[in-house]
Amino acid sequence: MRLFRELDFLLLAATLVTVLLGVTMIYSAAFHSDSTAVQNAWDKQAKFAFFALAVSLAIVYIPDKVIYSIAHPLYLFGLLSLLAVLAWGTGDDAARWLRLGPLRLQPSELAKITTIIALARYLSDCTTERINKPRGFLGALCISLVPMALIVRQPDLGTAISFGAPLFPMLYWAGMRKLFIFLVVSPIISVICSFEPLWQGAAPYIFATFIIGSTAFIHLLLGRLWVTITMIAVNLSAGLITVYLWDHFLRQYQKDRIMTFLDPESDRLGSGWNIIQSKIAIGSGGLTGKGFLGGTQTKYEFLPAAHTDFIFSVIGEELGFVGALVVLALFFFIITRALQIGAMVKNRFYSLIAIGLASMLTFHVFVNIGMTIGVMPVTGLPLPFLSSGGSSLLSNLVAIGLLLHIYTYRHEY
Amino acid sequence: MEHLPQQDQRPQINGLLRVVTLLFAVLVLRLLYLQVTTSDDYARESDENRIAQKRIKAPRGLIYDRDGRVLARNRAFYSVSLERTTRKDFDATATAFKEAIGDHEINDNYSRRHRTIRLKRDVDFRTVSIVEELLKADWPLLDIEIETQRHYPYSHSTAHLLGYMGIIQDQSLINAPGKTYMPGDFIGKTGIEKIYENNLRGLDGVHYLEVDAAGRTGRELPELDQWAVSGNELHLTIDLEVQLAAERALPDTLAGSIVAINPQTGAVLALVNKPTFDANIFVSFQAQEERQKVLQSKTTLLNRAIRGRYPPGSTLKMIGAIAALETGITDTLSTFEACAGSLAVGDVVFHCNKLDGHGEMNLLEAIETSCNIYFHHLAQILGFKTWREYADKFGFGHPTGIALDPSEAEGLLPSRQYYQEREGWTFGHLLNLIIGQGAMLVTPIQMARYTAAIANGGYLVTPYLSGEPPERQPIEGITPATLKIVRKAMYQVVYGNRGTGRRVQIDGIAIAAKTGTAQVPNRNNDAWFVAFAPYENPTIAIAAVIEGGGGGGAVAGPIVRQVIEAYFKQSGTADQAATDTLLTAH
Repeated sequence: MRLFRELDFLLLAATLVTVLLGVTMIYSAAFHSDSTAVQNAWDKQAKFAFFALAVSLAIVYIPDKVIYSIAHPLYLFGLLSLLAVLAWGTGDDAARWLRLGPLRLQPSELAKITTIIALARYLSDCTTERINKPRGFLGALCISLVPMALIVRQPDLGTAISFGAPLFPMLYWAGMRKLFIFLVVSPIISVICSFEPLWQGAAPYIFATFIIGSTAFIHLLLGRLWVTITMIAVNLSAGLITVYLWDHFLRQYQKDRIMTFLDPESDRLGSGWNIIQSKIAIGSGGLTGKGFLGGTQTKYEFLPAAHTDFIFSVIGEELGFVGALVVLALFFFIITRALQIGAMVKNRFYSLIAIGLASMLTFHVFVNIGMTIGVMPVTGLPLPFLSSGGSSLLSNLVAIGLLLHIYTYRHEY
Repeated sequence: MEHLPQQDQRPQINGLLRVVTLLFAVLVLRLLYLQVTTSDDYARESDENRIAQKRIKAPRGLIYDRDGRVLARNRAFYSVSLERTTRKDFDATATAFKEAIGDHEINDNYSRRHRTIRLKRDVDFRTVSIVEELLKADWPLLDIEIETQRHYPYSHSTAHLLGYMGIIQDQSLINAPGKTYMPGDFIGKTGIEKIYENNLRGLDGVHYLEVDAAGRTGRELPELDQWAVSGNELHLTIDLEVQLAAERALPDTLAGSIVAINPQTGAVLALVNKPTFDANIFVSFQAQEERQKVLQSKTTLLNRAIRGRYPPGSTLKMIGAIAALETGITDTLSTFEACAGSLAVGDVVFHCNKLDGHGEMNLLEAIETSCNIYFHHLAQILGFKTWREYADKFGFGHPTGIALDPSEAEGLLPSRQYYQEREGWTFGHLLNLIIGQGAMLVTPIQMARYTAAIANGGYLVTPYLSGEPPERQPIEGITPATLKIVRKAMYQVVYGNRGTGRRVQIDGIAIAAKTGTAQVPNRNNDAWFVAFAPYENPTIAIAAVIEGGGGGGAVAGPIVRQVIEAYFKQSGTADQAATDTLLTAH
């Protein structure tokens, strides 16, 4: 009963409201579909929500310190399930699911959680000093890269990238210096700066500015010549390799694919179709929306994957700006609550988990909603709690369960 | 856990909170922009999405000859089409269709771009019934569509004149504002079809339907529909009987061309070439091989009547005669040194067409017998400048102004400079030019206009195919008396005892003409014949050329005779022509 009193009811309530809204909007999104499987998606989602909620509440009642001790087996289990997908997986265009009797599970969703737990364990075992050494950083990197590599093989690039999302916030939280994080991230920025199609001819200037600026920055703050020289070499080669690959290595169709990825308007009826239809749906929703079941973009099936990846477009169309703001407010509350829990818990391992989970949620929310409104590319990442899909719902509710668990032990070291 | 609290040096949570807030602010601002600032634009796009516009193709305007006989009509045909759907459904349906008809040459390129994909166009009735009776129940997205296509009932006879249609290639036209054309549409590629494309095309209508993205149609919205407006009818000046007669008269084995115009107005009565082709193969979905054959042979598509460049031979002699009469160098009675069959000018010996010579003769006799020696003598007095001035007045070296595609050739009326840039000017060049040889090049339509100018008393007409006749230009410095003498001489070509054109005589119709046998490198002589009739008050002027045909009088003459016969055989033609003449004699 003590535990019941210690529950974070606000977080639980916000989550339940979001899940309920999800089920409702899935009902609307799939209402006009020809396929009975799609029509019944809301029912399936609701049943799964009950199951996932039970799992999530069960996690709250796991005794203190148990999760810490089973972090390694959990991580291993996650990796094995990903290997199983590569061996026996099913799916339309990429093998992402594992069939377990009547259930179809997406192990990559659960591996997100186990990877965060493993990272939290690793980082909490490290001293701050060690984390600021290359060996300490490489250890954390490996924990993230192994599941990423397995998921890239499926292939599912979007999900793989989402594994990288919690890494840097958790490193930061564990005490890695901002400058070192910048050192690690700078080759990625080099690639982006030197990527011509993004800058329409200005790439050489932007790249040069970044190289000079970052070099000055690193040198002034660190003042170690060998680090500065190494970083110049690494950043320069990252940029030049990007240019070389684009100009000489990629075929035209591959370039086209990347170009439509960046600019969907250039292929309105091909791969740009989804984004354009989604923007029309959300934009035409206006301030108050077309009403529940009233979205014409959804009704006439212009909107693809309306009940899964593009559920936010349905919300935007039918509930308008007001509805979209409510959804954003719910997410903002859940995420900031997770961060607050991370800040308040005494235990370093738990604190790191909370930050990791908050980062994972933030990444998914921003990439998915960003995709539907045309500020992020199409990646196929689901929207937490709202998109139809059992595995995603389960892993996100497990994340909430973990946060509730952590909250109840917030005073313990 | 073994860690002590002091080891746990956490940064402030505010840093991470700020990052999250920033990311959410981006989303909110973007939503504000989409749903509040630019919401109206998206609302309109959403409406357009919901309502599909199905194009109703306007029927193309028919093309008629001067008497209302149809030269180009529209034929309905069936196409099997497939509504836009998923790739999976598309492939399954296309495969089922292929197997059912046992034909694997169909357009099964899936595209999301088009609402309707035509699997096979212009299918036979067997295919239509297979689709309707067997396939449609299982494959509801299959559809039979009725399309219309150009058909030319007088296929070969009108090919160069009407031109042909082809599938639009020019992307800029497809993308042009107004969306007049869609990929796969047919457009006039050459000839009348191209020149009058905008008139003939008409205005496509729009049928509105509520649809979903898969192209499945729902409620009709008749209040929004716009009817298609069919293309304008086009009435040509062409006389089908003359056109067909000309096509029949030209030999199939030789290349050649005939142009007949009304000398008073410039109305083109017939425009025929050989070799020719069946323009229907260009709009057929089956005649791929024939089409390739025609496209690869450059000589078949060549519209010789306006683009063929030939030396005119003796048919050009009237220019020398007119120049000589106008400048007072000669008259109807004067004679030169008797023709002995050849003439030496400097080092060069020029031969006459009659090896033993024509003897002593005047201008009329020289044209009647087509004596070269007489004109060589004339040239020496006339001089190049004067001769060229008169050739220029009759439009040689200039386009006639006929509106047809591809556009006409200018021919070549050489200037002194032309020779200076090449082998150098000698007087021998004029001796050749005056008898229509040497560098001189003309098109059949130029020859028809030149003949018309002699026939109509000195007016240069612009040959035209439809509409009002363009104003004709009087040729400056040509007196009616001069032309009367020349016409008389041309009459003698047909009716004189020694006339070279005696073969064209027809009972009841007085014809005036001139023969020409032009020497060309690498082939037999080209046979030329120009004529007008009736001699008094002419209503038809003709020019004909047969490449490598041989003698003008022997080969080209009888061909022209058939055309003139066909023209006058028609009941009422004479009256009709007389009326035309009265109406247009300004």
